[in-house]
Amino acid sequence: MNRRKFLTLLGSAGVVSALGNAATPSTAEASHVFPYYPDSYGVLHDTTRCVGCRRCEEACNTVNALPKPDKPFDDLSVCNTKRRTSATQWTVVNKYEMNGKAVFRKLQCFHCQDPACASACFAKCFQKQPDGSVTYNGSQCVGCRYCMIACPFYAPGFEYNLAWDPLVKKCTFCKPRLDKGELPGCVEACPMEALTFGRRTDLIKVARARIADNPDKYLDYIYGEHDAGGTAWMVLAPANPKGPKIPPENPVLAGPELKQLGLDTHLGNQPMGELTYGALGTVPMIVAFWPVLFGGAYGMTKRREAMHKQAQEQTKREAREDVQAAVDAAVRKIQETEGEGAADRARKAMAEALKARESAGKHGEGA
Amino acid sequence: MRNRTKLLLLAAIALAGAACLLFREPKGLMAADAPEHTESGAQAAMVLFPASDKTNSGAVGMKPVVFNHKIHEGKVQECESCHHTGDPVPCTTCHTVEGKAEGNFVNLERAMHATNIAQRKGQRTPESCVSCHEKIYAQRAECAGCHNIVKPTRNDQWCAVCHTDIPTMTKEQLVEGIQGKLDTEENIALAQAALAAKKPVDYLDPKRTKYRVVIDTLKDKYAPNVFNHQRHIVSLKRHIKGNALADAFHSTPEVFCQTCHHHSPASQTPSKCVSCHTPSIDKKHPGRPPLKAAYHLQCMGCHDGQLVKRPRKTDCTACHKLATAQQEESK
Repeated sequence: MNRRKFLTLLGSAGVVSALGNAATPSTAEASHVFPYYPDSYGVLHDTTRCVGCRRCEEACNTVNALPKPDKPFDDLSVCNTKRRTSATQWTVVNKYEMNGKAVFRKLQCFHCQDPACASACFAKCFQKQPDGSVTYNGSQCVGCRYCMIACPFYAPGFEYNLAWDPLVKKCTFCKPRLDKGELPGCVEACPMEALTFGRRTDLIKVARARIADNPDKYLDYIYGEHDAGGTAWMVLAPANPKGPKIPPENPVLAGPELKQLGLDTHLGNQPMGELTYGALGTVPMIVAFWPVLFGGAYGMTKRREAMHKQAQEQTKREAREDVQAAVDAAVRKIQETEGEGAADRARKAMAEALKARESAGKHGEGA
Repeated sequence: MRNRTKLLLLAAIALAGAACLLFREPKGLMAADAPEHTESGAQAAMVLFPASDKTNSGAVGMKPVVFNHKIHEGKVQECESCHHTGDPVPCTTCHTVEGKAEGNFVNLERAMHATNIAQRKGQRTPESCVSCHEKIYAQRAECAGCHNIVKPTRNDQWCAVCHTDIPTMTKEQLVEGIQGKLDTEENIALAQAALAAKKPVDYLDPKRTKYRVVIDTLKDKYAPNVFNHQRHIVSLKRHIKGNALADAFHSTPEVFCQTCHHHSPASQTPSKCVSCHTPSIDKKHPGRPPLKAAYHLQCMGCHDGQLVKRPRKTDCTACHKLATAQQEESK
């Protein structure tokens, strides 16, 4: 294969792959984006109702048979520290100061519509289920904890205390209970209906109705409706009674309010996974083409070197042959004019002179 | 000597009492002998007609409103609070039933009842009757308790609180009023007569209600709650005693019942919480809070509005003891 052939082949391969991507965007996307389940469930967390009683934490601990915490659940002082969910606490209630008023918010896995944890996991441990839950199957987990880095809500926890087969643990949306037709433990335990369970589409309607009925009470923003590409668990926040009214569904203006509640509105409307699918999707192409590309480049360089050497040798040989021919012609002329003896002497002298020059040339090359 | 001091003291107390009786504030404008003019020079009371430019306006069907100008004048800071343009002309100059260019085509209905008024930049944001009253009862703790958890249903009964019958008014006077041709003297006479006829609502006597209610439908971890029903009604009544706004707008004796028994028709024997709020999610009405949440939202919502600090919202055993603790007590 020569250079021209190789380049033609490489070029056509590139065009084919580019065409392939452009011609089948739907199938390419379908293979990356998670299916959106229209009837999936969700929970609406109304922080204006939450009183911070930690009943949800207690229920979560009981129904999931988690180890008992050091401080009992009726010790409400723990809410004052900004706790994070962990392998043994799948949900926590924290107290936030919002415009000078104490507001409680429950933290747990948000069960994203298109979960970032699943997009980051190369062992395919995470799965968005048709009922709305994002489940984790640790049988293939390698413990890389990429999911914990990918999660914008810092939800997954890791069993750091286990030496053998530590796994990632997070809220399961009480999937086993949902399958039995029961409510999630925390929702059932909430005495204030601060957690409302239902189909996600219905919950958005419920949330909008609550905002419309009490425009002064609620911030006109359903956190999780679009954030991070939409989440199954959504949050309603109280409005600032003294501040100016915030126009509806404005993540920029609602941002500072929600930030006080520890909610980030900078996650965008795009699912987290979509940010990486593009880059990760090119990995197979790189794996396929880079060996060919660099192998070809290497082969080409090697071949050029060999050809160059050959040409050099040819020139040298030709030059040597030219000199030899000239010497022979000169010797023949001497033989004709001055006889045999003179010709022999001349040939000897010339051969010696050539040898001396060659050795000098070699010397020079060597030096 | 000691007796004289005592006597003087008694005399002083008696004098003070007499002074209190003499110079106490006049009670509202319910009396017919109220002055005809207020400090600003406006009439003390007037009838507001649904003004219309059309001769056969549908507004004839809507009853006019008797407006007590004096009492409102005393409550607001400045004339511009209501006369938002700064020109103290009648509302109907710009806002008619159909709407006029002068009033930016804001019709009379919206001018009086709108609650979703957009904030104006650089000028005064107008208020309607309803938006101003809503603001007041959201701010005052004695009002905010009930009004935090219940919003008056906008039905005929709600309209009829203001749009009352004026017994002395004739059909001709109504038509003239709508066309803006009614004589001012006649208007004032009608308003005075209507105010004189209006009697403050006779609230339901708390003693006629249940004394205690034992809430035991949900007892499991916690013992039944003993709710002091009568005490709550007495307390609500005490809070709004002498409040002119409450007296004017609480139109039925059962008004307190309708706070907690919020969707029940006005009755002295309203339905119980459990008749609508089922213990678990009602599949027919999934938006309805289940019983446990209904109780907590209702109790805590009212206490929040009234700024009742105790019991704390997370102090479960303040209202219902732990079931185990009660068993031990009974032993």
